[in-house]
Amino acid sequence: MRWLDYLIRRLLMAILVLISVSIITFFIARVIPSDPAAAWVGPRPTQDQINKARVQLGLDSPLWIQYWRYATSFLKGDFGTSVRTHQPILNDLKVYLPATMELVLASMIIAIVVGIPLGVLSGAYKGSLLDHSTRLISIAGVSMPTFWLGLILQLFFFAKLGILPIGGRISNEVALFSPIHVITGFYFFDSLIAGNWLAFKDTLLHLILPSFVLAAYATGLVIRMTRSTMVEVLNENYILAARVAGISEKKVLFVLALKNALTPTITVLGLCFVYSLTGAILVEVIFSWPGLGTYVTNAVMSIDFPVIVTVTLVVTVFYVLINLFMDLLQATIDPRIRL
Amino acid sequence: MNRQRVISLIILGIVLIFTTTQCTPQPTPPAATEATTGLSPAPTVEEPPPTSGEASLKEVFVYAHQTAFPDLDPMRSYSNDSVVTSNCYETLTFYNPPGSKDVLSPKLAESWEANTDATEWTFHLRKGVVFQDGEPFNAEAVKYSIMKVKEIGVGASYIWDSVKEIQVVDDYTIKILLSYSAPLDLIASTGYQAWMVSPKTYESESPEWYNEGNCAGTGPYTIESYERGSRLVMTRFEEYWGGWKPGQFEKIVFEISQDSVVLQQKIESGVADFTYGVPPDNIPTLEKNTDLVVYTNPSFQNLVGLLNTKKPPLDNKLVRQALSYSFPYEQFIQGVMGSRATQARGVVPKGMWGHGDELLQYNFDPEKAKQLLTEAGYPEGGFKLLMTYSNGDMDEQQVGELWKAELKKLGIELEVQGMNWEAQWDLGKSDPLNAQDIFVMYWWPDYVSPYAFLKSMFVTESPTLFNLGYYSNTEYDKLVDDGNILTGVDRDAATMKFIEAQSILLDDAVSLFFYDVNNEHIARADVEGFVDNPAYGHVVFVYQLTRK
Repeated sequence: MRWLDYLIRRLLMAILVLISVSIITFFIARVIPSDPAAAWVGPRPTQDQINKARVQLGLDSPLWIQYWRYATSFLKGDFGTSVRTHQPILNDLKVYLPATMELVLASMIIAIVVGIPLGVLSGAYKGSLLDHSTRLISIAGVSMPTFWLGLILQLFFFAKLGILPIGGRISNEVALFSPIHVITGFYFFDSLIAGNWLAFKDTLLHLILPSFVLAAYATGLVIRMTRSTMVEVLNENYILAARVAGISEKKVLFVLALKNALTPTITVLGLCFVYSLTGAILVEVIFSWPGLGTYVTNAVMSIDFPVIVTVTLVVTVFYVLINLFMDLLQATIDPRIRL
Repeated sequence: MNRQRVISLIILGIVLIFTTTQCTPQPTPPAATEATTGLSPAPTVEEPPPTSGEASLKEVFVYAHQTAFPDLDPMRSYSNDSVVTSNCYETLTFYNPPGSKDVLSPKLAESWEANTDATEWTFHLRKGVVFQDGEPFNAEAVKYSIMKVKEIGVGASYIWDSVKEIQVVDDYTIKILLSYSAPLDLIASTGYQAWMVSPKTYESESPEWYNEGNCAGTGPYTIESYERGSRLVMTRFEEYWGGWKPGQFEKIVFEISQDSVVLQQKIESGVADFTYGVPPDNIPTLEKNTDLVVYTNPSFQNLVGLLNTKKPPLDNKLVRQALSYSFPYEQFIQGVMGSRATQARGVVPKGMWGHGDELLQYNFDPEKAKQLLTEAGYPEGGFKLLMTYSNGDMDEQQVGELWKAELKKLGIELEVQGMNWEAQWDLGKSDPLNAQDIFVMYWWPDYVSPYAFLKSMFVTESPTLFNLGYYSNTEYDKLVDDGNILTGVDRDAATMKFIEAQSILLDDAVSLFFYDVNNEHIARADVEGFVDNPAYGHVVFVYQLTRK
């Protein structure tokens, strides 16, 4: 039962983390100099309007009561209302979260499909031309500023070649003449389920540039990480034994060695994933991608504290769960990790 | 062991999926499904976009817009949403672009009149107008629209503060009684919170309904769909009272792109028909492009630097005048703003009624500044001033940096402090003796009257709201109030009062008037009929446009 015990322990810890994060963000958001009541009313509030809004928003009660009210309604699924847009935050998240998830998932797939094989090969053929060129790719990926890479790719593929769209999730043609019926919020799946091939193709085309740009950093990191652990693992005796036993090189590299070399890569991928949920701001802005990053940036700029607190909490939930998932995944892949 | 691991992983997986699906949208109503299946091509894969679609794209007007639409509820919206709402809703009166013969023209009201002190207004409404939900437009709807905005009380709802009672005389005549004089004809033309809405729909739908992509005004277009944060589609309202002529646009698409370079690429490539907010340095390039037309016109927005008239040394009029002579206006506009600004003359921006071409304009004159400082007893300067501005505004920041360099030559140390707006405003509203010395901000009229500038920023006020230079002068206050009362009945007489009031402000040097902001709108050359109207900011009334 050690696995289940561990799982329960970790879940309890996660709840504690969530409560602490909610308290900290709630109180920080409320001590910075800003007046949510004034923000609610608009750019030119009168004193009467502000007073009225203060009562309406419950800002006249003590802070801890406000927190209690917030926490209880959060548990009931009411994430509060944005003071800037007067919209229920849940309605916004329903649109922005899947949009970001779609982008982040696509970029993670690229990072895995491109990063791991390149890492394995350059680890195996250390010092070869392949290794050097891969190093160049990975260093470029990690160090190139995303906004620059994004703009360059746009300039090339949109302005010069005209083969890829400049941004957005779908084109006007599709939005007007063959709209996607939203079910999951992942346009990729939604168009596939509906058999709306025009929209499916359009969604894919729109995903290519932003997901490559977002994947650049993660791919670089995955290559470097896989390479260095591969170099280490390939020096182990069991690899030598396997080679002596005549096991094919492909199997040695991609099964025997990779299995043990994968642990740190998985950690990196997990962190990249969660980081990208809100860290994809620049990519989202450049590619007009209506995601969580853009949403939370606008909220921070206008000190829309209910949005800031809620998005922080939602991202924390993902962070905690994905971390836990990655921990367990590692232990499953690598028996050396004992819990 | 292995099985337990697998179970744990499955449990976690389920939790993950659960949290994700919690946040995914519910299926849309059947209508949307129909639209999807009805319009999508047969599920054969490699079909190019339908040619009929290509042709009809010509009848679509695409507006690449820099910001999302925070709130599309017509009673609450007080932001850039007006680019959308202005195509769906209409006002009683319409503010004409500068250079027109009359200030106002009829819209949903065909004519109107006021009593001699502008406290009783009668509007005669247009007949045969229907709302997009099929309801008739009549006096009851007008009464409802105004009273509801007052009741909700957010945004610019205070423009209706003077309204005491609304009497429905008959179906198409309405009488509005005010508790004090106000130019209700001008107020009724406002691009925010003066919209006429269908009482039936507004009563039955929640604010969320509007933000899911719906509207019910009397205007030429109605919202067809809205992908939050990325795209809003409007389509013709066939029963529009103005009727339809060949060549007018079928649909409007608002595409949101926050990045200014992307906006530029969209307009250059023809993906978009209209935009603003491209990088200022690239405007000259766009002007040379024969596929584009750049419209540069004064907006009704200006940049002011309110001087703290309560706190030494700026409580001394001579020091304030010296500061007014110390800013290099021309150099700044030429070097930094280019065609985006014009040096201000007085408080009321050029192009708006009440602007005075004869008013005093301070120019850069360090000698004169030095002389005034000497007169005031500060021949070597020797004091420190705090200037606050809104964080992230590069233009305001550069105003500060350039001014700092000039003031240093006069022995004055200027601290340029960027703050977020709320913090800047809070400091401004605190005790003037502890507040900033110079408050830099933009101002624009809530309804198009000099009163919107002269009252909010300079009339005696307690507690402080926007008179952030804490100016107080009874003679000035009276002129502004008199001007406001006259506005409703005799606009020429009102103009005289407002100009006189401005000359007092300029003599007292209560603020620096840096520049009037110019709007730079960019349209594709094949779009015809666009007229820049600063009263409505970045709004494009698409009904007026056609494609060549």
